[in-house]
Amino acid sequence: MHDYLFPLGPQHPALVEPVHIKLRVEGETIVGSELVLGYNHKGIEKSFESRWWAKGVFLSQRVCGICGFYHTSCYCQGIERLMGLEIPERANYIRVAVGEIERIHSHMLALGVVAWEMGLDTLFHYIFRDRELAMDLQELLTGNRVHFAMNVIGGVRRDIDLGQIRKMEENLEKLEERIRHYLRLFKTDTSVKNRIRHVGYLSKRKAKILLPVGPNVRASGIDYDVRETGYFAYRDLKFRPVTGEGGDVLERCVVRWKECLQSVRLIQDSLLSLPEGGIAVKVPPVIKIKEGLETVSRVEAPRGELIYYMKSAGDRPYRVKIRTPTYQTFHILDEILRGYEIPDVPVIIASIDPCFSCADRMTVVDTETGRERIVTKEEVRRMREEG
Amino acid sequence: MFDFAYHSLVFPGFVSAFIFGFLYLGVMRKVAARMQHRVGPPLWQPFLDFFKLLSKENISPRNATGFLMTLCPVISFASVLTVMVFVPVGSGAVSFEGNVFVVIYFLVMSTAFLAIAGFATGNPFGFIGSIREITQMVSYEFPFIVSLVTIGFLTNFEIIPVSAFAFPFALFAFLMGVLGKLSLPPFHVPEAEQEIVAGPYTEYSGPRLAMFELARAASFWTLISLGSVFFLGARTLAEFGVYSIILLFVLTIFRVVFARLRISNVFRLYWFVIGPLAVIDLVRVMVGFY
Repeated sequence: MHDYLFPLGPQHPALVEPVHIKLRVEGETIVGSELVLGYNHKGIEKSFESRWWAKGVFLSQRVCGICGFYHTSCYCQGIERLMGLEIPERANYIRVAVGEIERIHSHMLALGVVAWEMGLDTLFHYIFRDRELAMDLQELLTGNRVHFAMNVIGGVRRDIDLGQIRKMEENLEKLEERIRHYLRLFKTDTSVKNRIRHVGYLSKRKAKILLPVGPNVRASGIDYDVRETGYFAYRDLKFRPVTGEGGDVLERCVVRWKECLQSVRLIQDSLLSLPEGGIAVKVPPVIKIKEGLETVSRVEAPRGELIYYMKSAGDRPYRVKIRTPTYQTFHILDEILRGYEIPDVPVIIASIDPCFSCADRMTVVDTETGRERIVTKEEVRRMREEG
Repeated sequence: MFDFAYHSLVFPGFVSAFIFGFLYLGVMRKVAARMQHRVGPPLWQPFLDFFKLLSKENISPRNATGFLMTLCPVISFASVLTVMVFVPVGSGAVSFEGNVFVVIYFLVMSTAFLAIAGFATGNPFGFIGSIREITQMVSYEFPFIVSLVTIGFLTNFEIIPVSAFAFPFALFAFLMGVLGKLSLPPFHVPEAEQEIVAGPYTEYSGPRLAMFELARAASFWTLISLGSVFFLGARTLAEFGVYSIILLFVLTIFRVVFARLRISNVFRLYWFVIGPLAVIDLVRVMVGFY
């Protein structure tokens, strides 16, 4: 049977976001794939350069709707490093707690989508119902269900009081029980295992070459986690990354569930050892940083390592470069799709937990020659001037 | 003559297939929603969908065969409705020895025209959906036909109320066949939303899609009626109602608890697990051991 092109996207029920994946298919077997990006470019990096440092916090939050807190954490951490600011211990612990709740809700969202992609709506609805427990906690702590605006430069915006801690422990207990239930379900349920075991395999050797980040690389047996470097309060909380062995979709799901359990423990620990003191240091509304200073800030977002590179131009950034985790994970898509069948494609794509809108880059395709090229900053500026 | 007209046009024919078929769909959606901790749509939602679709526009893609696209849903609906002529619910059913085979033929025709419709749309998703539809048909027809023939041996291959509880494997094979025919989970492979959008239905819109919806509702009504008469032995209307509801609930439970299979698994499951089980009962009825 000759091969033909199976267009997945830009609009397709299996994809939550607009992205185009060209699959070359023989019968139902995939022999090659090509990722086409560029449907969702927001131009956020450029907009940073026209805003004061403090306004950038709100902008960085809008990079992603699911892990926005990590973007602000990373951005604030970078600025604090540039300013030489030491933030209060209590703020560090609160950042860990809020961040880990966000990790739970992000992982549960991803796993719910995996359940839906394998055609098991019931599990999807159950996971999303229980994800509400985490969403409630976010609302309790920050006042918002998404886009918390919790981070400010120099600390956090809201404190945690005793009543909130009590309510949190209650919810966390329920959440832990449900997470354990799902972990067992993914490991033992035949109907589920049939769809996701031995599918989308990424060997340890290949993982070392292609280097995805987050749960995707940890499921292949490489214990790479930025939290190990001990930023915020992770050093005091004795963090050890979760790793898996299998490298297939099932293992990536299991690693995510285990990370959820670990997050529950981290939240409980950080609440127990919450130090006394203030929650933020006062910073001037217009922050001035010496021109030309630069830094790289890293945090471990739910999808993996998130990097912000920042260079100062006085009261605003000269350049902010964001490397989202999904950008690093794209490269494994072809490897884990090739050789599997069309029914596996949605599950495999969902299993790397892609967030395309975070990672989208702009390419210009010359329609006459069909060549693609990356546009430089000067060219964009020229285009803008020309209209 | 009046009896036959009433039987084929009102109950359990055309009008009932329309009303009860959509009602079954509605009940199934509502019950499944409650099982999944959702509120779910109102019971009459399928009716609303149907009438909404009727008011919409028919769209033919450039590389589609428009004539076939119109013809297929109509034939699909008509052939599945014809089956109801042979099912004795109330009076007026056409009854003769061997009408089981006629029923099998018309049920296959309904699915076959759905597959042709997928090819006619000229869409890659429809193309793959149709291939899957046919593969699935080849898979489930074996146990399905074996189960019908098994019970047929008891009645000289005529559809009359008969209880099949002595043949649990045949009953099971029939249920699985119905799941496959209706493309319900775990056999919703031909119209797998996450993989191939809507399979053969992908390019359909407006009244033509409404016609397919109607055919689907009618096949719900037909297959469940066939099951409650020919396998569960419903003689009176009350029994018929109760058995139909039981069958509907069993199908709903299957819909809720299973993930989708791959098409290769579907084939293997029907031919190497359900098929042999059904054959056991066929052998039993042929040697008279029951």
